[in-house]
Amino acid sequence: MGRRALGVLAALALLGGVTYALIPDDGPEAKKLVTVTGLVGSEKRSFFESPEVKAELAKQGLEVHADPTGSWTMSEQARSTPGLDFAFPASTAPAREIQRNWGQQDSPLVPFYSPLVVVTHAEVAQILRDNNRAAQDASGVWTFKMDQYVADLKAGRRWQELNVPAEHSELAGPIFVTSTDPESSSSGALYVALLSYILNNHQVVSDDAAVEATRPVLHQATTMQGGQKSSSDEPFRDFQAGVGNPLVFGYESQVAALVAQGQSTGDTVVMYPDTTIYSDHTIIARTDNGRKLAALLQDDEALRTLEAKFGFRPQARPDALNDLVKNTRQPVFAQNLAAAKVKQWQVPSLDILQKLTAAAKGGQK
Amino acid sequence: MNVPMKRRGWITAVLAAVLAAATACTSSGTPAPRPNPTDPPAETARPGVLRILAGSELQDLAPVLEDARKATGVTVQFSWTGTLDGADAVSSGRADGKYDAVWFPSNQYLRLDPAGKSKVLSETPVMVSPVAVGVRTSVLGELGWGDGSKVTWAQIGDAAAAGKLPYGMSDPSRSNSGFSGLVAVASAFSGAQAALTEADVQKAAPRLKQFFTDQKLTSGSSGWLAQAYTRAEPGKVGALVNYESVLLSLNRTLPPEQRLTVVRPVDGVVSADYPLSLLSSAAQSERESFQRLTSYLLKEDVQKRISEVTLRRPVTAGAAPASELPADRRRELPFPGTRAVADGLLAAYQNELRRPSRTVYVLDTSGSMEGSRLNALKAALGRLTGADDTRGVRRFRDREEVTLLSFASKVKWTKTHAVPASGSQPDPQAELASINADVQSLSASGGTALYDSLEEAYRVIERQQAAAGDDRFTSIVLMTDGESNEGATDADFKRFHDGLPAGEKAIPVFPIRFGEAAVSQLQGVADLSGGKLFDGTGSLDGVFEEIRGYQ
Repeated sequence: MGRRALGVLAALALLGGVTYALIPDDGPEAKKLVTVTGLVGSEKRSFFESPEVKAELAKQGLEVHADPTGSWTMSEQARSTPGLDFAFPASTAPAREIQRNWGQQDSPLVPFYSPLVVVTHAEVAQILRDNNRAAQDASGVWTFKMDQYVADLKAGRRWQELNVPAEHSELAGPIFVTSTDPESSSSGALYVALLSYILNNHQVVSDDAAVEATRPVLHQATTMQGGQKSSSDEPFRDFQAGVGNPLVFGYESQVAALVAQGQSTGDTVVMYPDTTIYSDHTIIARTDNGRKLAALLQDDEALRTLEAKFGFRPQARPDALNDLVKNTRQPVFAQNLAAAKVKQWQVPSLDILQKLTAAAKGGQK
Repeated sequence: MNVPMKRRGWITAVLAAVLAAATACTSSGTPAPRPNPTDPPAETARPGVLRILAGSELQDLAPVLEDARKATGVTVQFSWTGTLDGADAVSSGRADGKYDAVWFPSNQYLRLDPAGKSKVLSETPVMVSPVAVGVRTSVLGELGWGDGSKVTWAQIGDAAAAGKLPYGMSDPSRSNSGFSGLVAVASAFSGAQAALTEADVQKAAPRLKQFFTDQKLTSGSSGWLAQAYTRAEPGKVGALVNYESVLLSLNRTLPPEQRLTVVRPVDGVVSADYPLSLLSSAAQSERESFQRLTSYLLKEDVQKRISEVTLRRPVTAGAAPASELPADRRRELPFPGTRAVADGLLAAYQNELRRPSRTVYVLDTSGSMEGSRLNALKAALGRLTGADDTRGVRRFRDREEVTLLSFASKVKWTKTHAVPASGSQPDPQAELASINADVQSLSASGGTALYDSLEEAYRVIERQQAAAGDDRFTSIVLMTDGESNEGATDADFKRFHDGLPAGEKAIPVFPIRFGEAAVSQLQGVADLSGGKLFDGTGSLDGVFEEIRGYQ
């Protein structure tokens, strides 16, 4: 009995309605639903696994199989995995790469977005504020001072050189923000791109000369981290466990989802870099079913509400998230980033972004 | 005896599942027979079963996984291996199709290899435990370390260099806890501000060498290390480098005087975050099982239970850690960012930094070994003399003293080789080639005087120790394919062993079961000497390699 034959039998068994017998407590009847299969950035995993999201999609006739993975490795997997209906990375740059691999031209939908933030513990945020590395406005929103941070990186400044209370012996060694691996995860790539923008005098890097000029600091900021994780979920899990670096680069949605769902975030503080970038969750549909899913995620009112519940800001109704988190005192989320004096900038072209991540990783690509 | 029975068991189970699936096409569906969590993973995937290649310490999750099975319908079946060996299995593609997921203390080493990285589709940290130093309470007092909450790596290094902190640590080439410990001390001793570089490792070498002079126990796994600590003579081992969770769990069973205070050095630790990792090769139904299982494991109440059962830390902020776990934070020391640095550190540990080993192989070359068995032995031992071993996981190390003892009705010959330090003349390669020549000269004839020959191995070691006056990791490997049928009996050997001086009594013997070896005799030798029995009936290659972690 070969593996394939067994697989076919198993598949037949599933289609035959045995799903219920083999997998108790799971989902609606399979017969009416169209299965849509795709890859999603790991930050969207819990959204697609949620029973409420599944129920709403089922109401619209879809059953979505979403494999979570790092957004950059997604382009490789999108190329090598047959039978995909869609791919849903966390930003436009890998989305463009997947489009190119799949030979697509049209402009894909961005159903929701989330700003990139630096997550830390409350006491660490206060220490950063006391040392003029972070600020908190009257509404309680925290910002992280990027120019000062890049200056600290360049100087190799250590926590011991700041004014740190003695009981915080864990704040030792060089000051740096932990990111994911820029070659496998889009939050890591966006971290590198953000540094390059600051290093390039607040200009988007657009030529090789600027890549070269930013290379030393990008390389340093990456190699000093040592081994990097491959998706944004991992450093955030370590952070919640109380291990790892106290400054973690990630998505606002990772923290907002916990708050919106009434879960504890402990002493987590969200700091918005005073110059930041949005992660535009971009869905590339390859089939009609994939296109149907993309349209629903953008336009279906119930799904928009659920998107907010998972910490995202729906493109068509950005306030949906704020409605869910506005009463929380910690962490405080910025309702309006412009009002919080958070500047935004544009992501460099895919070609430049790849050169920047290669420079950060040490030139092998 | 057991093995074929078990195998038939799972073949039956797979056939039953196939039949159930096939009948489901025509009838309204019969549930498949329940898969058994204690069965070894089958060669082919099966709905509702996740076949996971994992670190053996995850055995402590059994009660949680049983609850998970009830709640999600997903049965987990484990195969056990070490973290770095597991990384090799994934990178090389040997795990493809055979397992659906891997679950090791850390994926850091796996991730350094592009081939390995591309084999993993998704990783979810499930629980966290830092590698710490468990210090016996009396030793803590002697060193003036108070309650242990303010100790630095520098203090630990100084105490070890002064011979005041005899400790055990697992082999970093085999076990993630040993590797993490090595990374932590190398970071601390080099003063590295960020992730280790090759220059940092060189800079730290003199202090590392001093630190390792006080390493008294080594082990291929963190579990056996804890056992070896428990049976060591009082006072011989004062500390253990191991996961916080292992140390705290050990305390639950130890008598008060042996209990360990968990020291997480204030200048930093390396933590394991146990990522449950889906392999890219897994089929759709297994991917769904994986997702159901991970969502279950990350629930707040389940996270709390995991922490209480295993004494690891939860990865969900809302879940309370077990009460034994202190809340104050530690700096996390970065893991090396490249394979070159990681492998360089491991090779330096094995060949330059650690206390050298004295290793005696007692090899059965009786008549029954003739032919394919002898060839298998020559190939397996020969592999230990090869040079293609970037992280020192296999080959005889620089500075190691290796003795081969060939026996049948009596000891046929004994040959000892001292592998020189690298850079000396002649170089290690020449000596390794010479060991291989002796291995290839083995020939089979005669009976099996197992205990006489084993006793001779102790006498060889005694003479070597007396001549060299040195202090090495000393162990005996005993390979046989039959039952002792000449010379001393097991009772004679017991008397012989009882009469040995304490130092020799503590030498562990690692018997390898091969052919028709008498398991009870070999298990007796392992138990008496504090060693461990290995099964070479499947692959002699793998076993000789695995034992390297204990030598």
